[in-house]
Amino acid sequence: MSSLLLQLTLNGLVAGSIYSLVASGFSLIYSTNRFMHFAHGVIVILAGYILFSFYSLIGFSFYYSVLSTLIYSSFIGFLINKTIYSPLQKKKTSSVILLIASISLLILFQNLIQLFFGAGVKDIDYIDIQKGLEFYEATITQLQIITIIISSILCVGLFIFMKKTSLGKEMRAVSNNKELADIVGINSSKVKDLSFFIGSFLAGLAGILISLEQNVSPSMGTNLIIKGFTGAVIGGISSVPASIFGSYIIGLVENLGIAFLPSGFKEAISFFLLFIFLLFRPEGLASLRRRVK
Amino acid sequence: MIFEYLIHILILVGIYTILALSLNLALGYSGLLNLAHVSLFGIGAYTSVLLNMQGFPFVLSIIASGIVSALFGFILVFSTKKLKGDYYALASLGFAFVVYSLLLNLISITRGPLGISGIPRPSIFSFVINDNFTYLIFVLLFLLITLILFSKVVRSPFGKLLEAMRDDELSLRILGKNTYRLKYKSMSISAFFAGLAGSLFAHYIGYIDPNMFYINEIILIISIVIVGGVASLRGSVVATVIIIFLSELLRFIHLPSSIVGPGRQIIYSIILLLILMKKPRGLFGRIDLE
Repeated sequence: MSSLLLQLTLNGLVAGSIYSLVASGFSLIYSTNRFMHFAHGVIVILAGYILFSFYSLIGFSFYYSVLSTLIYSSFIGFLINKTIYSPLQKKKTSSVILLIASISLLILFQNLIQLFFGAGVKDIDYIDIQKGLEFYEATITQLQIITIIISSILCVGLFIFMKKTSLGKEMRAVSNNKELADIVGINSSKVKDLSFFIGSFLAGLAGILISLEQNVSPSMGTNLIIKGFTGAVIGGISSVPASIFGSYIIGLVENLGIAFLPSGFKEAISFFLLFIFLLFRPEGLASLRRRVK
Repeated sequence: MIFEYLIHILILVGIYTILALSLNLALGYSGLLNLAHVSLFGIGAYTSVLLNMQGFPFVLSIIASGIVSALFGFILVFSTKKLKGDYYALASLGFAFVVYSLLLNLISITRGPLGISGIPRPSIFSFVINDNFTYLIFVLLFLLITLILFSKVVRSPFGKLLEAMRDDELSLRILGKNTYRLKYKSMSISAFFAGLAGSLFAHYIGYIDPNMFYINEIILIISIVIVGGVASLRGSVVATVIIIFLSELLRFIHLPSSIVGPGRQIIYSIILLLILMKKPRGLFGRIDLE
């Protein structure tokens, strides 16, 4: 039993690492723009398909494909903001309308992918199927270890970027009070563009790791953004570190949950958590600390 | 052949108009962006089919489908009564996911991902509606009742209170109106008709599975309401005709089904994006969504 729990905990950590990459980008964009960019999930999957096209279809070298995937996905996120969201925001559109727009973007891209690549799963055969490493009585593959490491490095990096660099400070200023930031001369539209760029870069990275670890299919985007979003809500949606924390909780809870529930309910657990948190603590766990203060 | 096909499209138009009208009551008149509306539609479909296939008469099943959907609509708005705007929308989305995973995982009741096939056509007191023309008349009858009822509701003092709540909930509370109770009523009515539409849909198509009531499908119904204009019943009717005919054209030019499926969704989402960017009030809309 204890080895099962250890295995499930490891799986939860791997899942949590991926979700935290999705959630950190999502909440970075939310904190500076104040609307929910649901199409973020489809950027993740799009990155998987770009990598698939470059590496498996065209046959570029692996590292070149990864690099171009990251560049393309960052630019796609940036362009979505430029063409759809910023014109809407200039017209002072409400966040409900922006939410509808982002859901329709999600559906649009998902179906475009399905149109070009088909509804089936695509597999990127970069890593041979290998026997995982034994870790006490549980197994973990090299790629899973790499996933956890990359995600932790990026999360720490993002944290340092937000706290120490001047760009990061400008981002936090816009996220705290946009009007005030405008008054002191921070170019808030530049900051918004930048948050889309960085957020979509993180989404691209998540997409690459997912497509190597499992495989990609068009409908995965919806599922992933729900996980990332749930992680962000549980932690505290407008704080990047809190949403990373929440994502690990989601990864662990849904994997440990199947020790007690039928595995079909794995998805339902996180949906249920999302619903509960939106009802009782829509501001997330991060607000607990603030309340104590 | 063409005539048969036209009847098929008109039946779909009828069912989706009922669905769009009921969403417009929640979204347009009460300001509740209910992303779980398709789930309520699905709950109605499953309730009616499961009861009917257990041997309950159709008349009872369709009434039950409305009541069960209304109950779920009530549960949704009861638990989320304090949320507004996009937080309400996202809670309803979470609700939609919970419903979806229940439909998918309660295999002993819903048969899970396999879905339910061989759904019988409705029979009303030993009169079985077999041909599509009679079914069309049956659907149009329902549509007529819905339209009359809804236009009465939105013109009544209750409808005006709903619009007041949408525009300024706080002031209405200060005036001593119980806005929670208004929300319960409007969502229950909206869900009741979504459930009826679900029952009509399931017994017409003859097959249901959980994916037919998932996030992909919400985009169609939201497009209809927003293209027609929020808080405009006439707009919802016109927009349903336009959008359903437009998407059925794809099937008409003999594209393979692997293109028709995604192609439709692409059309809906592009229409929705364009209308949001160029003409956010839609065809007949009177107000902007807050």
